[in-house]
Amino acid sequence: MTLGPAALLPLPVAVPLVFCAAMLATAHLLPGRLPDILATLAALGVAILSGVIALHAADGPLVYWFGGWEPRDGVHLGIGFGVDAASGWIAAFIGLLYALTFIFAWGFFDRTHGHFHILMLLFLAAMVGFCFTRDMFNLFVWFEVMSVAAFALTAYHLEKSALSGAINFTVINSLAGFLMLGGIGLIYARTGTLDFEGIAAAVARGGRDPVVAGAFCLVAAALMIKGAIVPFQFWLADAHAVAPSPVSVIFSGAMVSLGLFGLAKVSAVVFAGSEQVQHALPNLLTGLGSFTALLGGWMALLQRHLKRMLAFSTISHAGIMLTALGSLSSAGTGGMLVYIVGHGLVKGALFMIAGILLATRASIDEIVLRGLGRGIGPAGIAMAVAGLLLCGLPVGVLDQGTRLVQGALSQQGHGIALAACAIGAGLTGAAVLRAAGRIFLGLGPDPGDEAGAPSEDEREKANRPLWLMLAPCCVLLALDVGLPASLIADRIPRAASAFTHRPAVEALAEGPLWLPWISVALALAGAGYGLFRNLLPKLIVRPVSATQSAPTRTLEVLHSGLIGDYAAWLAIGVAMIATVLTLS
Amino acid sequence: MSVVSNILPYAVAAWLFGAGLYGIATSRNFIHLVGCLGVCQSATYVLLLGLGYRWGSIAPIFYDHPPGTPAVDPVMQALVLTDIVVGATLTALLLVLTIQAYKRSGSLDPEKLRPMRTGRGSGRAEGLDRGDSGERTAS
Repeated sequence: MTLGPAALLPLPVAVPLVFCAAMLATAHLLPGRLPDILATLAALGVAILSGVIALHAADGPLVYWFGGWEPRDGVHLGIGFGVDAASGWIAAFIGLLYALTFIFAWGFFDRTHGHFHILMLLFLAAMVGFCFTRDMFNLFVWFEVMSVAAFALTAYHLEKSALSGAINFTVINSLAGFLMLGGIGLIYARTGTLDFEGIAAAVARGGRDPVVAGAFCLVAAALMIKGAIVPFQFWLADAHAVAPSPVSVIFSGAMVSLGLFGLAKVSAVVFAGSEQVQHALPNLLTGLGSFTALLGGWMALLQRHLKRMLAFSTISHAGIMLTALGSLSSAGTGGMLVYIVGHGLVKGALFMIAGILLATRASIDEIVLRGLGRGIGPAGIAMAVAGLLLCGLPVGVLDQGTRLVQGALSQQGHGIALAACAIGAGLTGAAVLRAAGRIFLGLGPDPGDEAGAPSEDEREKANRPLWLMLAPCCVLLALDVGLPASLIADRIPRAASAFTHRPAVEALAEGPLWLPWISVALALAGAGYGLFRNLLPKLIVRPVSATQSAPTRTLEVLHSGLIGDYAAWLAIGVAMIATVLTLS
Repeated sequence: MSVVSNILPYAVAAWLFGAGLYGIATSRNFIHLVGCLGVCQSATYVLLLGLGYRWGSIAPIFYDHPPGTPAVDPVMQALVLTDIVVGATLTALLLVLTIQAYKRSGSLDPEKLRPMRTGRGSGRAEGLDRGDSGERTAS
């Protein structure tokens, strides 16, 4: 194993780490824009390397053992990276998202001696490591590195809200780390190895075992906390709303979905042999996912703070990804992988537009911004397009993912989850379109329930030309719309079966063609109601407001911003997962 | 050995985690909360060490023991070491955030430091806040 494609595997992790260390050592010497350039190059390098690895992995997973500690006689002592095509492409997508984010944030953090870039590159290395590893404890290490970089980036502004949001984020995600470590300890105690394949083989031999189920419960809860699944979702709205907009791009575009990516890998590979776990998964995942999709969409519609609204829409889409996982089929998982990329592209673009508004209009509040977006029309067009794509307009990568997910769900007979996905996506699209109409067209003079949502004004430096901020945003949207569907459709069946270790299927079912249009119609109707409420007859408006306001207020009170409440919900969530596993 | 000594480490770990979580859920001071998080983390130390322990074995150092002597599991001890490093990082970071938050708001109470609930909000949100905190002090 001296030369060959497998020797490339450590590079996408090592490159950003080396850049990190070099930039940290020379931080005070680096002139002006050099950190921006270096960081962008490093991220592009990661994207290209990961793409090359993914191409090589198309024929079968590549494996690299650190220090040459290959398994002997079935005993796994070493730590390995194992990359299948899907993991490689996800890593390439993450690298590209970082490169575009660095361009978006060009000069934004100029007086920081490149510390922003160093943290971001560390974050990038952790994410790629998380995608590539095939060792349970290594997974935990990348999980923690990812978390620590994210905590520091959230609090970057050192303002009151940013700090308290970061504290909530840190505490909840640290608890996730502890749960995960406990789960890893349990599974190691039972199987005597930390390697994915080794554990899988031992679990398959073991039969029904409460220790294995307990380990899965803890690890799954930890990854769902990262993936912001109800009832673990509370930290996300606080953290994403207060983080600097380039950081939010990464959080929503990559970090949250990586939690679910990890869950997909762990449940499909490591715990595939445990009948108890596989039995519990469909109901658990589709149930939680549907609920998350609806709650996130509903909450998104009730926000006035743009980044908080986008954060709730991320929660909703995370729920949709989880239902796809719950279909327990190659098609569902493949759909989820495409969905991760499509959602990352669109949501990244939307957070960039929020950043553009922060920089050029010095506000992030939808109601304050009403009509103020008139001077920056191109951003408005981008926001409307992104909103339509988000709710499921049938073009592009996100739509391809949606159709695969919906196909898998309808094939497995999860009717409720199918409906929840369509409605959740529609609601998030409605929220974005309403905000776009209000900000860029000056519509919607009479705000509804969203007027009562928490909001706080912040500003970001207006030191960048509009085109420089708009260009990466448009590239993201163009990628989502422009990537040829056949390119993905050809690769997905094999990639998904390599990812899930299930036999390959020739063609993947796609959902009904009319379903995305329902979401689009729902989004247009929701946005239209919010914007033209004052023109509608009282007969329609009054019953809607009357039935809406009580549950709305309850939901807003539940998202209290209090860390104690979040910890209590976390305990309830873990208990719930444990109960489902016990009963199956 | 006996049932008690087999179960005890896991019971202690579960107890520590529960106690720490209860502390976090009810804490009214961020420094106290960071301490509670440390208690939660101790649960993982106890759990891992308990899982790796073998009765009647030596520490996994074979300098003055012949190879093959029963030893406790060194992997678990490595995991605990990593865990301690993670814990130190988290505690340091959280304390930094807490100090910065205290500098800006003069309070360490999570109730007074809720993100985006201060400053210019609408009347209804403020009314909600008041009602909410009133309930809390009453209960």
